[in-house]
Amino acid sequence: MVEIAAVAIDAETLSTREVNALIRSRLQGGATEIIVENPNARHNLAVALLQPGRVRFLGSVGYYCGGLMDGAEIHVQGSAGWGLAESMSHGSVVVHGGAGNGAAAAIRGGTVVIHGDAAARLGVSMKGGLVLVGGDCGYMAGFMGQKGTLVVCGNTGAAFADSMYATTCYVGGAIGNLGTDAVIETLTPEEAGMLNGLLAEHLPPAVRATKPAGRDFKKVVAGRKLWNFDKHNWKTWQDAL
Amino acid sequence: MCGILGYFRKHPGTDAQLGATMLNMLQALGRRGPDSAGVALVGPAHRAGCIVRVTAGGELEMTPQAIEANREAIQVFAASLHGASDLSSIGGYVRFVLNGDVDLLAFTQAIESIGEGIEVLSIGHAMELSKEVGTPHLLEGKHHISAFAGTHGIGHTRLCTESMVDLSHSQPFWGRGAADVAIVHNGHITNYHQLRRKYEQRGVRFMTENDSEVLAVYLAESLNRGETLRQGLDGVLRDMDGAYCCLAVTATEMGFVKDPYAFKPLVVAETDDFVAVATEEIAIRSALSGDYEVSEAQVEEVRVWSR
Amino acid sequence: MKNEASHLARPLLQTSGTYSPDVMQGIHTKAETGIYEIRGYGTLRPRRWATFDDLTFLPCGLTRIPLEGYREKCSTRTVLGGRFAKRPLELEIPIMITGMSWGALSYNAKAALAKAAAKVGTSNTTGDGGLSPAEREFARDYVYEVLPSRYGIDVHDLRGASAIELTIGQGAKPGTGGLLLGSKISETIAHQRDLPVGVDQRSPARHPDMLGPDDMVIKIEELREATDGQVPIFVKLGASRTYDDVKLAAKCGADVVVVDGMEGGTGASPAILQEHTGIPTLAAVCEARAALEDCGLYGEVQLIIAGGIRDGVDAAKAMALGADAVYIGTAALISLNCNKPLYVEDYQALGTEPYHCHHCHTGRCPVGITTQDPELMKRLDIEEGAERALNLLRAMTLEIQMLARACGKSDVHHLEPEDMAALTMEASIICGVPLAGTRKVFGR
Repeated sequence: MVEIAAVAIDAETLSTREVNALIRSRLQGGATEIIVENPNARHNLAVALLQPGRVRFLGSVGYYCGGLMDGAEIHVQGSAGWGLAESMSHGSVVVHGGAGNGAAAAIRGGTVVIHGDAAARLGVSMKGGLVLVGGDCGYMAGFMGQKGTLVVCGNTGAAFADSMYATTCYVGGAIGNLGTDAVIETLTPEEAGMLNGLLAEHLPPAVRATKPAGRDFKKVVAGRKLWNFDKHNWKTWQDAL
Repeated sequence: MCGILGYFRKHPGTDAQLGATMLNMLQALGRRGPDSAGVALVGPAHRAGCIVRVTAGGELEMTPQAIEANREAIQVFAASLHGASDLSSIGGYVRFVLNGDVDLLAFTQAIESIGEGIEVLSIGHAMELSKEVGTPHLLEGKHHISAFAGTHGIGHTRLCTESMVDLSHSQPFWGRGAADVAIVHNGHITNYHQLRRKYEQRGVRFMTENDSEVLAVYLAESLNRGETLRQGLDGVLRDMDGAYCCLAVTATEMGFVKDPYAFKPLVVAETDDFVAVATEEIAIRSALSGDYEVSEAQVEEVRVWSR
Repeated sequence: MKNEASHLARPLLQTSGTYSPDVMQGIHTKAETGIYEIRGYGTLRPRRWATFDDLTFLPCGLTRIPLEGYREKCSTRTVLGGRFAKRPLELEIPIMITGMSWGALSYNAKAALAKAAAKVGTSNTTGDGGLSPAEREFARDYVYEVLPSRYGIDVHDLRGASAIELTIGQGAKPGTGGLLLGSKISETIAHQRDLPVGVDQRSPARHPDMLGPDDMVIKIEELREATDGQVPIFVKLGASRTYDDVKLAAKCGADVVVVDGMEGGTGASPAILQEHTGIPTLAAVCEARAALEDCGLYGEVQLIIAGGIRDGVDAAKAMALGADAVYIGTAALISLNCNKPLYVEDYQALGTEPYHCHHCHTGRCPVGITTQDPELMKRLDIEEGAERALNLLRAMTLEIQMLARACGKSDVHHLEPEDMAALTMEASIICGVPLAGTRKVFGR
């Protein structure tokens, strides 16, 4: 039997610098689970965590929670501000509530799961990894996405998957409208199975039950008309530029 | 550029000839600098009070009527102060003693706001500063330096270089906000503007465009921070660039600092009775008889004498 | 009879000042391609605006004493970022290598510049592609750029940096993102940047996770958190609304503000941006300094100036006007043989000649600097290039020292605006420096 050594930190009277220093030192000291009480939606919590281990925030976090992460696991039992997990390379961040603009911005790997809704520019400039939103997402999700996988179980806002490179997007609900050079491709049975697996793995059963089945998702990728300038694609470029 | 001098009596008690000796030194140096002359003389200390010296305005910039109006206004102000005594005035100058504790900078600003052109020349328990456009002879005529009895002092004659010939650009400079601190400077501080901007950013007010003033500001800050004169002069070596020989006085000390390049001369004579420091030996020899040696101060040298 | 009329036989050529040959050629090209011209370098127009050339130094005469030019100490040591950082960046000289992406530049170019900077005791800056292996191995100090694209972003590289530079824009093309055309998105570069091979990549103009100074305050704090408050955070601005931007950057918590003026270069950009956006570097340094003074932070927040710094004179003038250090980019590349008459037929194949080439965007650099082609890159020998760049850095430093000593300064950082006079009215007005011959500062 494995004992999980859980450590509790009360952030109420500590500065952000102190909270982060405590988290790091506890992780380095071998704690496998750290519980942070009273995060009070502060910014820059758990930035640049470079060690494995789980950090659980009992409340909401502000900007850049989990930013620049390499290898840890964060749970937010509340909502998150802008730039959740920005530039993460490995690890995972799970938010039980919603997330603000630019969630998973520029991530190169790892997993970002948002049970609620995501605001504008979800996964902007993402360079790898997996982003999974249980609810809806806002304007220009997937903008300039380079690699990786973006899954939205609910509806998207306007300009979905605008100006992408090679990120693959899947939408379970309605697409507000497609962004520049975004095209819908046929979902394969393998992809439907893959989506079912992802939802089962990353969403709690009660949440997963309200979401579409894998085969009902639409797949959106780049049409590649913006990859190299060709004057015959001028109309596309006019919209993009 | 300038001639500077300092004279320090080693015996306890005041020297009735202090002013006369310094005037002689000043006159000998005068040919180096015909544009202005000034002294900061240290006499017996007033225990509970400060001597305040104020100018009502410069003759080159203002009409006699304006100066006179200022002078009267200053006198009225001084007379109204609780704790002011020994009020006197000569020409465009007003002198009085202010008893009790006072915030020097605030008090200075209060006097200077009485009228355009009014400037506090010095405040000190023992130090009194006089300076005049023109020759040492004129200085004597207006301020009777030769009658001053005291323990030590510094003096200056000026050949102006980059800033103007007027009273506020003459030396010595009082370390505004610090009692009894005054400096004289021969040379040119080449990072003056940079330093000045840093001070102004912190709210320090400069009265002139003369680079020597920054030395007074610097030492005033240093002493107000609780440092010794020696520490302040060591700081000058560290933080000022360019050419300088700088002489400074406090109520009980006289000191000098010489720049790292030996661009400006400073000779020192020391006996059991006195210390005399000057830009040229002639200033010392013409005022002080006796068989003593005079030597050039060393590069980067700081020396302080205390009573 | 024929002789009398012969002087009428050949009419004089009259060239339109409005539709000059280069304008005509530009229209012809657009008519073929349907898109704007893209090229490297920066503004190519003759400089008809106030530049550093409109200022002259006033060395010592009778009122001040000069230091011996070849003998007496003149310190060049430069410390940046003491405002908040526990470990400010300490350099031996006030000249640093600016951010130029690995991608725009070849590995050999990056390596040569890293070795040269390390040897003289100064820093390199990464660029729009993350930390290159060359800098990782050879740089003494590297400034890690966090740009809108976040290409190659890596927290470990960030934490290994001596300073972080949060890039808002660059002088050649403020308000727009970088551009690297397909021929330079090789396998290696594509892997580094997480892009498909051969794509014409356009970097974003905006950061993905911050939009505006109110976000930037928090972003700067995040970068401090990520680096334990150890290293300085620079904010780099393309010179546009410089006065406002610099004030904001300083108030948002930058340790150092970098201002990159209009004359700055780039590997590839639409030509109209290089020519018609941003303000000149001379104007920018004066605006930046005024901004810092007006918010009471001059001296506390350091200023790095970039954009067309060609030699020690430009650097010294920038420093006299308020810069604590300068960045060089194009000058560093020129020291690596950019535009040298070598492999002349390859310049001609590009449609240009040595001394006139600005074709970095093609990836066919004849001297191996701005290319990803391994065969072309071989033409830039790393050790030789490092020595040449080192020589340039040293020569520039000597130039700055010479001018400082002539003005009586024992430290190059003691240069002040009052050490100069203006040669034109405009320079006098912009810099607040007297017009030579008048003792008067115009326009203030």
